[in-house]
Amino acid sequence: MAKEVGKDKFGSFYVAGSKVRNRREWRGVKDTLYDYSRWLKIMMTLGKFVAKPRNVKAMLRYRWMANYLAVPMMVDRHTQGLRGEYLRMCHTEQDLIIDDVAKLLDNLFRGDRRTGNDTEFSKKVVLVDENEMTAVMMGFPMLKCLSRETPSTYVSVLLNQHAMEHYIDVAQEFGLAGDVCPMPEAEAGVSIDDDAPVLGACAIQCNTTCDGSLLGNGVISKRLEGEDGIPVFQLAAPLRHREDDVQEYAAQEIRNAIAFIEEHTGAKWDWKEYFECAKRVNYATRCRQEWLDMNRTEYPQVFGSNLALYTETNYMAICGRVADFEKADRKLTKLAEQAYKKKMRAAKEYRHRAIVWGVQSHFYMDFLVWLLNCWGIVPLTDMLSMVSTKPIAEEDTPENREQAYYDMAWLTENMIMRNRTHGGYKVLLDELWEFTEQFNADMVILWEHICCKALDGMHGMFEDRARELGINLVWVQHDLFDPRIISRQGVRDQINLYMRTVMREEPIDPSLEVLPDEESW
Amino acid sequence: MLKNMPKSLKICLKVLGVLLGLFTGTFLIYIFNLDMKLTAKIEPLLLKHYDRIPRDRHL
Repeated sequence: MAKEVGKDKFGSFYVAGSKVRNRREWRGVKDTLYDYSRWLKIMMTLGKFVAKPRNVKAMLRYRWMANYLAVPMMVDRHTQGLRGEYLRMCHTEQDLIIDDVAKLLDNLFRGDRRTGNDTEFSKKVVLVDENEMTAVMMGFPMLKCLSRETPSTYVSVLLNQHAMEHYIDVAQEFGLAGDVCPMPEAEAGVSIDDDAPVLGACAIQCNTTCDGSLLGNGVISKRLEGEDGIPVFQLAAPLRHREDDVQEYAAQEIRNAIAFIEEHTGAKWDWKEYFECAKRVNYATRCRQEWLDMNRTEYPQVFGSNLALYTETNYMAICGRVADFEKADRKLTKLAEQAYKKKMRAAKEYRHRAIVWGVQSHFYMDFLVWLLNCWGIVPLTDMLSMVSTKPIAEEDTPENREQAYYDMAWLTENMIMRNRTHGGYKVLLDELWEFTEQFNADMVILWEHICCKALDGMHGMFEDRARELGINLVWVQHDLFDPRIISRQGVRDQINLYMRTVMREEPIDPSLEVLPDEESW
Repeated sequence: MLKNMPKSLKICLKVLGVLLGLFTGTFLIYIFNLDMKLTAKIEPLLLKHYDRIPRDRHL
């Protein structure tokens, strides 16, 4: 038990065969009491959630709800080793995300025909994909934009590495291919297994991010439209999103989606609200740019999972629609500036500056924390955090109302992941090397999602260019949602092997090199 | 000594005692991860329950 960062042997917290760790970390009196107070807050959020009978009913109906038993542990995984400002940044983000997901679940079950069955509420609900920018909802404050896939699949697998195995198996039992991306496959599995809440006036699906996603959407929309009577709009955003000649088509898709929502909900687009949201989108962009600027220096502050998880949520799922995230942006920037002035560092030793590229394994999101604590590799930024930094029009003028369609289209095209996995090799390949230079990185950790056709074709081109530039390129294979294919230790072994054989280094914390976490949440 | 104490002080001490007890109890749960150890035991029971629910499984 140590106050000082790096004194604890983090491997000693793991118990073979157990889902959970043996104890929580002692971080010194001040930071432990802070972490304890945040734990209490999380327990209160969960307590408030289960106090509603419809939520208990949902807990007993939907298999994926069992994963929410692991919420406090997810936070512990991401706060491992953190002290001072870093700990506060992590909690500012995680607690807000937990609160937001709890509200999302509460709303889903309120409208769900099987649990809350509030039909009037359900008429105000527009369902959206998990992997979809919610820009088309920025001008509908009177409606509820809810994603069923976010809590059932995406968040579930962050909470419990084994969460999606059942649904992947169900999808394959019904003949879906085993070599597509397990994310849309699991989403389809939830639908096939009759395990998705049923609600909403209509739904918007998007062709993000790939062929697997289209497959999953097809299965889900068949049930939504054919059986549940919920009409679905297919928002087909162009893949070559950097080309000027696709933008008019993309803007028209946005106009069509808005018209579809108006037709099925009776709601009218609110320009005042849209431009309020646009201001918040721009503010979030400015904050993110400031954090990335800090990460280019010797003293990176908002990095690793602190940057990755928050950006995914704030940029894509929130998209300026929730004012609380603006407050969090402000608080995070203040904490980062304080830490930067004090020249603080999050770990005992920084050995390598890394850009993390490719699509990360969702069953092991705290891998970035492990990289830092085990090998001193600082994940300065990651592919999914390198999203659009283009300001959008935020003043309500006739010209800007027209521009707004193009801005929403731009955001939709530049959704997290798809802005890099589609759009040509420049966005995936060339810009990676620009970033390594800008961030003064000596290492690239390249996630290779073995079922992602968009990325796997470029394997050789990455290697050639890394060799030319003298960058240490470490491939890390994984299967996104399925730890049975490559386990967490399988992921770690790829780094361990590279660091020992190529870099000839010893770990900073050897207790983390091999962990008995196969059974862990 | 307690007998001679003003009533308000006694109440304060009781409240303080309860708060201290609550803090000690919850802090022990927190530091020894007892909340997660308990929920880890609940999960298999829930999974068995989900297996028993009739479902309309199809494409």
